[in-house]
Amino acid sequence: MISRVAFLRLGSLNDGPFVLFTLNTISHMIEVQDLTKQYAGRTAVDHISFKVEPGEIVGFLGPNGAGKSTTMRMLAGYMPPSSGRASVNGHDVFQASMDVRRSVGYMPEMAPLYTDMRVKEYLRFRAELKGLSGKTLRQRVGDVMDQCAISDVRRRLIGNLSKGYRQRVALADALVHQPPLLILDEPTNGLDPVQIRHVRELLKNLGPKHTILLSTHILQEVEAICDRVIMIHKGKIRAMDTPENLTRKLRAASIVQLELQGKGDFIPLLEALPGVRKATEDGVQDGWILFSLRVEARHDAREAIMDLCLRQKWKIRELHWQLPSLEDVFVELATTEAAKA
Amino acid sequence: MRIFWVLFKKELRAFFVSPVAYIVLALVMVLSGFSFRAALSVLESAPSEGSIVTWTFHAMWFWLSYFFIFPLLTMRLFAEEKKMGTLETLFTAPVHAWQVVWSKYLAAVFVYCVLWIPSYLNFRFVDWITVGQVEVPEGALKGSYLILLAMGLFNLAIGCFASSLTSNQIIAAVISFTISLLHFLAGLFIMVVGRRVSETFVDIINYFASMEHIRIFTSGLIDTRPLVYYTSFALLFIALTHQVVEFRRWRP
Repeated sequence: MISRVAFLRLGSLNDGPFVLFTLNTISHMIEVQDLTKQYAGRTAVDHISFKVEPGEIVGFLGPNGAGKSTTMRMLAGYMPPSSGRASVNGHDVFQASMDVRRSVGYMPEMAPLYTDMRVKEYLRFRAELKGLSGKTLRQRVGDVMDQCAISDVRRRLIGNLSKGYRQRVALADALVHQPPLLILDEPTNGLDPVQIRHVRELLKNLGPKHTILLSTHILQEVEAICDRVIMIHKGKIRAMDTPENLTRKLRAASIVQLELQGKGDFIPLLEALPGVRKATEDGVQDGWILFSLRVEARHDAREAIMDLCLRQKWKIRELHWQLPSLEDVFVELATTEAAKA
Repeated sequence: MRIFWVLFKKELRAFFVSPVAYIVLALVMVLSGFSFRAALSVLESAPSEGSIVTWTFHAMWFWLSYFFIFPLLTMRLFAEEKKMGTLETLFTAPVHAWQVVWSKYLAAVFVYCVLWIPSYLNFRFVDWITVGQVEVPEGALKGSYLILLAMGLFNLAIGCFASSLTSNQIIAAVISFTISLLHFLAGLFIMVVGRRVSETFVDIINYFASMEHIRIFTSGLIDTRPLVYYTSFALLFIALTHQVVEFRRWRP
């Protein structure tokens, strides 16, 4: 408590955004408790609670309209919660909105920008708004343009740029004041595969120094860069874990694919194996019979299948254990909800 | 205050990189040229009571251009940012709503002041060309531009407010045009009904009759009542704009 008081006083004396961060002794970067947002009778975010530690990259995952953007807007200090509490870098999002905004680099969905400005001019304007000046400003603007690979378009009008460039200009804007926390709403939306890879690399490299909260509905993205996933659906948190744990915990059974040649009763013999729930024949492809086996979750049946094939003298061309992906979790989440509703 | 200047510069820049400022400037220049010409021909035809200043600001041309200025200057201010979604980026930077509102409003006021430079130069040129043959009363001239500024503050604040209400620039323009014009017509009402109404009613109407204010100021009289009236209403509309912009931060 004492450290917090001292910190608040220093915060009011010093207007710089960076001093606040280094003096900050509060351990959670984001702390959200029972956060709720209601719009005219509709509940967009419904009593969610979570914490994000400094240095983490957390992915916000959910179908469209799940409440991801609303949560991020509240965390960025754009609008206040209807009830509940959220603090960023130790500052309450409602009480100390300005301090929150100084600690956050926020990139809204669709990357809105002033289309009548030139890239460098826009970044200079944004940096000035965020309190940079003089040499630091020039240096930071140059740095983020290099980081986001937009130096070659610095004199172009933003209105004439492609979606990929605009997205990266918005990202550069979020980075320009070196905020401890980045909140990025669908940062790779509308980029081509090369650009997506580039942005992901960039975010990964920012990793240890910055905390990142990003939203997406692209599952590979979460698997590729996030330390932790928060799955949100209809305003409620459905799951919160590392991507690996989440897929491991998956209730959906996994599938083994087989391609065999030989004689015998394939189906009954395969189904007799431990852990195999159901075997189906999927047809014949140039002389090879295709099977898919539903096996119990986390049950590796491959060795038993191999042994069976050797005993029966079946020839085997393919034996593949298909692990459930986050995509399956995601689809299951959305479809079970739809079935209930 | 630094943030205010950064925003103010950006707003001014936005006026002059888009064609809006130039179109309005051209419109006002041409029509104030016409009204100046009209004033000269009045003085040419017969001896008259009013000076060249009086006749210029009573010309039909002047009022014709006048009400187009405000919607054109202000419709963009908030509506465009709302439509483009840049209001979200703006309000997630450490800026206060008052800084945004005042920077937009004062940038519009600045452009409005620039608009009247050519019309002012007309008076200076006629003085110079005719070597003082046409009398340009100094007091009346200053008074005229003072009341023009006050009326501008008022109408621009209405425009600002209208723009903050919607994300559609056309709707913003229509709202501000309607309010400004209704206000003007309410003042004009007295001319139509003439003297058939009571004295007190005439007095009340004259408090907000723009035509009456122009008449007083162009004759060289400086009446503080209209000045207070216009600036206080301008402040009211700016305060309303501030509330609308801050609306999303209200807690139910």
